[in-house]
Amino acid sequence: MTEKQVHWDWEIKSQTTWLGASWKELYSFKDLLFRLVRKDFLASYQQTLLGPFWAVLQPILTVLIYVLVFNKVMSVSTQGIPPFLYYLIGITLWNLFSDIFQYTSITFTANAYIFSKVYFPRIITPLAVMLLHGIRFLIQLLLLIGVLLYYYFTGEVELLPVNALLAIPTVIITAGIGLGSGLIFSIITAKYRDLQNMIQLIIRLLMFVCPIFYSTAMVPAKIKWIVLLNPLSSQFEMFRYAFIGIGETSLLPFLYSTLFMIALVGSGVLLFNKMGDKLIDVI
Amino acid sequence: MSDIIIQAENISKLYRLGALGTGSLKQDITMWWETKVLKKENPFFKTDNSLPEEAINSNYLWSLKNVSFDIREGEVWGIIGHNGAGKSTLLKILSRIIRPTEGVVRGRGKISSLLEVGTGFDQQLSGRENIFISGYMLGMKKNDIRRKFDEIVDFSGVEQFLDTPVKRYSSGMYVRLAFAVAAHLDPDILIVDEVLAVGDSEFQKKCLGKMKEVSTQKGRTILFVSHSMQAINILCEKSIWLQKGKVVANGDTHTVVSNYLSAYQRKLLKQEWGLTEDAPGNVFIKMISVELIPQLKDPLDHIDIRTPLTVKFRFKNNTSNANLVTGLHLFTQSGECIFDVSCNPGVFNEGIVEGECNIPGNFLNDGSYYFSLIFMKDVSRTLFYFEECLHFDMEDFRENTNSFVKWQGYVRPNFPFKLKQANNLVAVM
Repeated sequence: MTEKQVHWDWEIKSQTTWLGASWKELYSFKDLLFRLVRKDFLASYQQTLLGPFWAVLQPILTVLIYVLVFNKVMSVSTQGIPPFLYYLIGITLWNLFSDIFQYTSITFTANAYIFSKVYFPRIITPLAVMLLHGIRFLIQLLLLIGVLLYYYFTGEVELLPVNALLAIPTVIITAGIGLGSGLIFSIITAKYRDLQNMIQLIIRLLMFVCPIFYSTAMVPAKIKWIVLLNPLSSQFEMFRYAFIGIGETSLLPFLYSTLFMIALVGSGVLLFNKMGDKLIDVI
Repeated sequence: MSDIIIQAENISKLYRLGALGTGSLKQDITMWWETKVLKKENPFFKTDNSLPEEAINSNYLWSLKNVSFDIREGEVWGIIGHNGAGKSTLLKILSRIIRPTEGVVRGRGKISSLLEVGTGFDQQLSGRENIFISGYMLGMKKNDIRRKFDEIVDFSGVEQFLDTPVKRYSSGMYVRLAFAVAAHLDPDILIVDEVLAVGDSEFQKKCLGKMKEVSTQKGRTILFVSHSMQAINILCEKSIWLQKGKVVANGDTHTVVSNYLSAYQRKLLKQEWGLTEDAPGNVFIKMISVELIPQLKDPLDHIDIRTPLTVKFRFKNNTSNANLVTGLHLFTQSGECIFDVSCNPGVFNEGIVEGECNIPGNFLNDGSYYFSLIFMKDVSRTLFYFEECLHFDMEDFRENTNSFVKWQGYVRPNFPFKLKQANNLVAVM
């Protein structure tokens, strides 16, 4: 080298860092983040009959099926709440988690063709997925509020507007758990593609361990630990409490879920940054 | 001399070949166990110099090996080499898509790379949406795109289809729109892979023109991979020649390109069989050798369109007192015959016969060609047709022109062609 360069803006070497891109760099890609959200939103409704209406129709149809199965056929108690409303509350929150988890867990496999052609901080992609499903969640929340108002006017439920504030931390924690676990799984599925099949299985299994169609109180004491161990359980109880005022809420499970979420997002982001750049060679 | 903007120091990239996936979990765990737990040395990523020059075992390949260079601000570099020489790997490392196995690249400023046409394009979405998404991915800012939007649309010429999903575009329109976005990037360093291989010649001209404009007027640094030596010659002042992951030569483009071409051409120009049984031929004719001899001033030069060529061949004639005629058919790479010349008939005895045919310089256009030899007896009876004896490339050569679009036509003769003033309008009035 003929001269000594005093200052370099960047350096590319074999080691990757846990922290990944700097805040400044991430911020400079914020336009891309919002465009990706917009793109995915628009693209998913191109050439469809009902367009964004699906975001509402899908939970309605799902809930109708569950009402049929759990309420009409199996007669599971809904604690005196109209089953449609009871399940819709659970499904709305569940969709938030499962969509974020499912679609962030395929970050590398689904975007391989872009990742191998252009650089931007990879974390932008799962963040865009989370925002997209956050928006879908908000649409579904409108549906939920509509249904809630309907049952309020028919006198079947009471409204507790103060409790509704509890929904905010619930949504953040649930989305965080979805993102954190999705990030970790995105690394795993990038390397071992067949484990993608596991994701569906995990989601289906988790769904029944979450108190969506039942309440924690109804679970027999012998197997209650499974439900309590699940950091999502308390969130479903709390979310239900926020809207219809029933459900087990206490501080300890809430703290457990919060810490779990922070640990999961933290380790997910670190792992994603550390491994992400290396994975381009194998995807 | 301007400052160094990119400095690559001994970058190497190791790839694992063969099937990844099945069993790789087991391999990974074994590797982890041995290196992290048992503290054995990792055989593949040792950083000392005990690594063998070639791949350690057949399952591994050094796609790049100890590549170093300095690029200064405002320079335009060409990267040349055969397929698999490591050009794309190098560009991907510089674009931060993959990490080098060893070594480090340092640099300053913003890099944008065009490794494909239409990065980030979504088939479902309109041209308008795609301009934004692709622009952002390539590192443009919202205001840049807004400001240049009309310019981009103008450049692409797809204005009336702006709200149509790009999947309905013709491939030409798609490429034009994609390149239009890329052409309006304003990075400090632009990395371009062979994106110009697509599109018609008119479009290629536009792209190269745009690249030249970016480099000369805005003083941007450009790294450019191409198989077109003409484009490299015109655009780039410096070049790197990669072969099997190593830098063969690096420096002034004309020297590097000329060395590259002559090294590449030399291998192909001679075929020799001797008096063996497996030589091409039949009971009448048996080939001994075919050779293409370019008449170059400097033996290290490469063949370009000015170079006169001599085809020499030897064969064994097994027919006594044969009235032989030999013809040479020259074809383009795509198989179209350009000419068919033959020698005067003559009577030959059994034994070795030599032939020679001269193709003048300034006659063939640049491109890839091959020729075939035909041996006939008594004017019309074919004894042996030796197809595709030798392949060769004519490289372009131009003076006093700034155009780098492919010259049309199969031949490019240097006929006398003059213009003169027949009538001076000013004088008449």
